[in-house]
Order: sequence, then structure tokens, then C-alpha cells
Amino acid sequence: MLGYLARRLAMTIPTLLLVAVAVFTLVRLIPGDPVQVMLGDNADPAQAAQLRTQLGLDQPVPLQFLYWLGKLATGDLGHSITNNLPVLPLILERFQVSAVIVLVAVGLAACIAVVAGVIAAWKQNSALDLAIVGGATLLLSIPSFWLGLLLLLLFGLKLKWLPVIGYVPFSENVWQATMFMVLPIVTLTAVEIGVLTRMARAASIEVLRLEYVTHARAKGVPEWLVLGRHVLPNAFAPTWTLIGLVLGHLLGGIAVIETVFTLPGLGRLLVDSIFARDYPVVQGCLLFTAVIYVVVNLIVDLCYPLFDPRVAVA
Amino acid sequence: MNLCRPSRAMMVGLVALAAMGAAAPSRAGAETLLRTRLNADIRSTDPGTNRDANTDGVMAHVVEGLVAFRDDTSIGPMLADSWTTSNDGRTYTFHLRQGVKFHNGATMTAADVVWSLKRWLDPATQWRCLSEFSATGIARIEAIETLDTQTVAITLDRPTALFLSTLARPDCGQTAIIHRDSVGADGKWIAPVGTGPFKLGEWKRGQYVDLLRFDGYAARSEPRTGYTGAKIAQVDRIRFNVVPDGSAAKAGLLSGSLDAIGNLAIPDVEDLKGRPDVQLSITPALGLTGVLFQTRDPLLKDVRIRRAIALSLDTPQIIEAVMEGIARANNSALPIGSPFYGEVETHGYTQDIAEAKKLLAQAGYRGQPIKMIANKRYSYVFDSAVLVQAMAQAVGINIEIEVLDWAAQLDRYNRGDYQSMAFVYSPRLDPSLSFEMLMGPKATQPRKVWDNPEAQRMLQESMMIDDKAKRQLLFDELHRRFIDDVPMIVLFNGAEIAALRNNVKGFSGWLFGQPRFWGVSVQ
Repeated sequence: MLGYLARRLAMTIPTLLLVAVAVFTLVRLIPGDPVQVMLGDNADPAQAAQLRTQLGLDQPVPLQFLYWLGKLATGDLGHSITNNLPVLPLILERFQVSAVIVLVAVGLAACIAVVAGVIAAWKQNSALDLAIVGGATLLLSIPSFWLGLLLLLLFGLKLKWLPVIGYVPFSENVWQATMFMVLPIVTLTAVEIGVLTRMARAASIEVLRLEYVTHARAKGVPEWLVLGRHVLPNAFAPTWTLIGLVLGHLLGGIAVIETVFTLPGLGRLLVDSIFARDYPVVQGCLLFTAVIYVVVNLIVDLCYPLFDPRVAVA
Repeated sequence: MNLCRPSRAMMVGLVALAAMGAAAPSRAGAETLLRTRLNADIRSTDPGTNRDANTDGVMAHVVEGLVAFRDDTSIGPMLADSWTTSNDGRTYTFHLRQGVKFHNGATMTAADVVWSLKRWLDPATQWRCLSEFSATGIARIEAIETLDTQTVAITLDRPTALFLSTLARPDCGQTAIIHRDSVGADGKWIAPVGTGPFKLGEWKRGQYVDLLRFDGYAARSEPRTGYTGAKIAQVDRIRFNVVPDGSAAKAGLLSGSLDAIGNLAIPDVEDLKGRPDVQLSITPALGLTGVLFQTRDPLLKDVRIRRAIALSLDTPQIIEAVMEGIARANNSALPIGSPFYGEVETHGYTQDIAEAKKLLAQAGYRGQPIKMIANKRYSYVFDSAVLVQAMAQAVGINIEIEVLDWAAQLDRYNRGDYQSMAFVYSPRLDPSLSFEMLMGPKATQPRKVWDNPEAQRMLQESMMIDDKAKRQLLFDELHRRFIDDVPMIVLFNGAEIAALRNNVKGFSGWLFGQPRFWGVSVQ
């Protein structure tokens, strides 16, 4: 187990290095210059040149990369160009907001999806199955920003049940924080349920066709026990793999939700930084997301044997 | 079974909670709060240095300069009560107002003014307007002296008509007079200790900026106008919430989570007009939307083709469609709101399809494609580009639109690397600066669109003389030549639209568009 862990961790180093090179190159390939964005249409060329020198942007790109890599080795992601704050604390602060939404949403989506998937498989081709599959497809097709706005208009504006603007961290006021988090979490959960339900249904159908299920039924094991004991755990294993992917995907794509619900999360930081061409923050966010992606997938792989003992980690 | 009966301790607790609950509204009721919106967070609290329009707008509540713009873009006194100019036009002597307090309680003196100005002029501060006071700017500052505790003299190396308006520029942070406690012993910025009607409260990055009423504020006696006059804080606190999404901001206003939102998108105007709980404030703006041409382009260097595009357009129809009737067409580089916008400036291009076709034939144009860059950050810029494309097509001009994001478009603009682009300029508060943003030698300043040495000389002259009538003549002549040369087609100046809940009283928009929440109350 430890050997496997060490090998997997060692494998992540070249992956992250490749990500670093790709991120740096891609970000620099985007036309536009942070100095020009900061100074706007009223930029004085001499002042722009001075600012560029001060930010080290007048150096050749390979040199800038080596400098960034050197600092990265010491855990320093650099300083934001727009507000001169260190990048890592900025990311960590914003990540807390995104992590809460994503983790809760994925957890909820997985629980609901697995149960719905098993039921749909169990009642395959019935009206219930059709309803579940139809619902999942519908949720899968709804753009998250549109659903978010609709929920905002309904629960925030029409019914006035939930606040529309603002954010309070859990450390300050748990109740208020929860109120602010409900809609973004519901939106993300709704969007992700679609993918996961279809996955869970497909996995369950396969399990239901296996001999041990027939055997259990023949033995007279009650149907709820067949589903709970045999189908559910086996349907969960493939869904679990997908959860790793969904988590990574969500962390990268949460910007829309954070923009609609005015949450100061990682996604919004990334988008704002791209528009401002704040290179250190963009690079930091992308690298950080890549690390999270790698770590989440590692955790998923390590946990897999818990759900499916046939897969041994050695 | 007495499990459900509340114990004595529980009863005491409940009573205490109820008392706290009852007390809470009265405490909250004591504080008046105005909640508004920023579409992006501010960059810093150091005015005029690390800044953008949002930063300028928030900091204008916290700091003040010697002089400030009035509603009509003329210059009025702010921390200076009056000033005199020496006969050679090089020395300005400012007489400061008595009894002005900084947010830390200290009284403002001439020494604070000198300290502040010297700090702005220190290259280490990276003040945005430093270059204006260098050899290549409007004039170089040679000396700043204290004549007595309430008088400061500033000497320039040459006379300029732009000195006061540059000091007052919002993007220069109004050349704020701040207390030295604003920086640490090492000279590093801490927080603004200014003289404004509000002082900085809490700034939660990415979430909100809170400004608190400054009880020691000494207001001017004249009525509020522009960034000067009586600036009396009517609310205890202003919260600028960072809400990037326009729809979310609108929902916030309608649900009562926000009291006022600025920078409203045009399509929202119609929607909000009919709401009984919302009022709209629509004011003409000073920005400039238009189509730039690269006059060095092999095709567009021919003025006949540029003129043909201008004559193919029905500008009022474009404005009607893009701005839904809340802005007026204007082909002049001077904004309609400028005091120098006279009868001459109203003459621009009138649609003339036959003449346009004739010019194209004379120029030998055979439908070669003309690339026009546009962006979607400003929807009215993109919409204008689409309408220009459609109208030009009617006379046989083949325009292809290329959509870029704002940063990429700015890059192309600065390098002069385009055939044409739909562009929006930020406001300039002096007519010389309105022309200056467009004019200059392309060889050394590729971003400039109008390269005409004779016009350039007239512009330089307008920057030196202070006589309004003489300046007007120069601007009129510049306008005529600008229309003849067609280096760009100015379309309109836009509008500043704010939406407020009905309980917000005393708000008024102005040409410059930045929010002003002094004199504004929430009832």
C-alpha cells in the first residue's frame, strides 16, 4: 500500500511539471498585457514601460519562467500583479469557499444519484425508470448559470426565502452562511445529479443481471435486501470513479456559479485574473486546481478497494 | 412527564434571547446603511496609484484634493478656498480652507499639502499622473513651497491651461491631500487618512468595501456639484458590494438586498422603468464610442473610403437601436455635455448613400474585406459594430467583425495593429484632453488615430492658453478638420444609468458617471 502511494505520488511530479510548463506557456500566449489593462486607454508609454520593468514583464519569457519555477520550488507562487498580494494565501482563502460548495454538492449529488440509479435499474423500462432517466437528461442539459439565475429569481426575488447578494463565512455565522450557500449548492447538485444518475443506473443494470442476484432472489432474500446489500455497493464503485472526475471538473468550472451567486471563490478569482491578465494569479489558480485534481484522483484510487475488494492496491 | 416543560434556567435564557431579539432591530435601526454595487473589486486604497474606475469612485468618498470638477466640468475649489495665478502663468498660490480635519482628527495645514504633493511626485509612489508633471507632460513642477500655515505656492516650468484640471482628475486620485499617517515609517502605504465625508471602514477583498461617516467632516458651504461643494454624509455607512453579474445585481436591487446600482445595462432600463419600487437616474456621459480607422492601412489610408463608411451610416438610427433612445448621436470628439460643445460641433456626417457609392467608385474599391475589431465587454460597442457593418454593407462595403476580449483589443489598439475597431474611450474632462486622446504622431505613438501635424499644433496651443473664447475657436477648427480627415467616426457619448430603490433620496448622476453618495439618504 505504502509502496503504491509513493509510486503514485512520484508520478505526480512530472505531471505537475508538465502542467506548470503548459500553464505558463498558454497564459503568455494570450494576447494582451496586464500593464495595458491596468492603465487603460489613457496609458502613458513611459509609465507603462516603468511598470512593466517593475513587474519583471520586460524580461524574456523563458527567463520569467525560470524565475517563477525557482520560486515555485520554495512554495512561493509569486505576487498578484493587480494588487501585489502573495498568490498562495489569496488562493487558499478563495479555495475554502469553492471547496465547501463543491464537496457538499458532489456528496449530495452522489447520494441522490446512486439511489435514483438503483431504483431506475430495478424498475427498468417502467414509467418510474423513464421519469428518472428523463429527469437526469433534463438536468444534464440545463446550463448551470441559467438554472442558478432561475433559482435566484424564484427563491430570492419572488419568495424572498433566501438572500440574493452577499456571502458570510461559516466561521462568522453558521446560519447566515448556510442561507447563502443553499442556492449555489442546489444548482451544482442538480447539474451533477444528471451524469451520476445515468452512471449509477448503467452500473446497477449490469449488477442486476449477475448470477448472485438471481441466486439471492431464488433463495428468497427480500427485494430490499437484494438491492441494499448486493446492488447498491456494486453500483457505487463505478460511480465513485466518476466522482473524482466530477470534483476536478467542478473546481475548474465553478466560476459561473460563483459569479451568479456573488461568492468570492477560486473560480471567480481565476476568471477575474484572466481578464486582468494577472499572470501569477492565473498560473497559481491553474496549478492549484491541477494539484487538487491529482490529489482527488489519488484518494479515489486509494479508496476504491473499500467499495470493491476485487481491486487490490499493492 | 415534565420533559416538555421549560426549566427555570431555560425560561431565563428564552427571555434573554427575546430581549436580545427585541434590542437588535432598534440597534440596527439606529445605523443608516446604504448598500450599493461594484462590478469588480477595487484595486487598492491608495488613490491615483494602483487604481481603476471602481477604485477612483470609492476613494472619491474618502479623499479630496485642492480643487475638484463641478457638474459642468469646470474647476471649483475644494480644500483650497481660492487661488491666484502669477502674471507669467507659472505660479499658482493656493489659500487653504480653515478648520479642515483629517480622519485621524488632525487639522489640515500647508505642510500636509506639501507633504502629499511631494509624495505623489516621488517616482516610488507610482502615481498615475506623475508623467503629466514631467518634461513630456503638461508642465514640470519646479517648486512647492509653504508661504504660511494656510498657503501653498506651486511653480511650473511653463504656463498651461490644464494644471488645475489635471490636479482634479479622478484618475489622478484628485491629487488627494492625505495625512502622513496614511503611510508607515518605511513609506509604505497603510490606509487613506483623508479629509472626505466618509472614512475607510472594512475592505473584504472580493466581497465588499465599507465606508463610515466621518463625524468631524467640515463641509463647504456652496451646494453640492461634481466632486466639490457641500459633501455631507447622510448615512452612517455605505457598503459597496462586489457583484460582478449584472442580473444578480438587478435581482439584488429588486429583492431589497441593494439600495442602488450603477452601470446598468441598456436592456435593463426598459425592464426597470415600470417597477413601482425602483427609480432610475439617467444622465449623459462623457465617454466616447466610435469606430477607429488605421490611416496607415493600404486600403483605409484613402480618405474617400473612410468618408464613404461615414456617409453610409445613419448615426441617429444606430444610437436609437443601441442605446434605446437614452443617448444622442454625436460625431464630435467633444462630448455633448462639454461647455465647449457649440453649434459647430453639431455638424457631423449625414447619411448620403449616393455620395458614398461615388466616393467608393472614385477610390477604386472593389469589395475588399475590412476587418473591424469589437468586444463584448461593452455590449453597446459590439452592437454598434454590427449596425455599422450592416449599414456599410448597403453601399457595398465589406466589413468583417472580429470579436476579441477587452485586454486583447487594448493590446491591438496600443500597437495600432488593426484596420478598424469599434472602441470606447473613458471620459476626459477637458476639451484639449478629448482631442489629445485621439491625436499624435503615429510613428512614436501608434495608439493615436489622428496624425495631422497642423492640427497637433493647434491642440498644443489650446493647452497653453486660458482664454475660453480663444480656446473655443481652436476647438471649432479642430472639429472641422477632424470631420474632414475622418480618422475615426465618433458615434455617441452614452449615458450613465443608475437604478435606486424608492427609499433612496438625494442621489443625482453626473457627466463623469462615478457614484456620489454624499447628500444621499435612505429612508
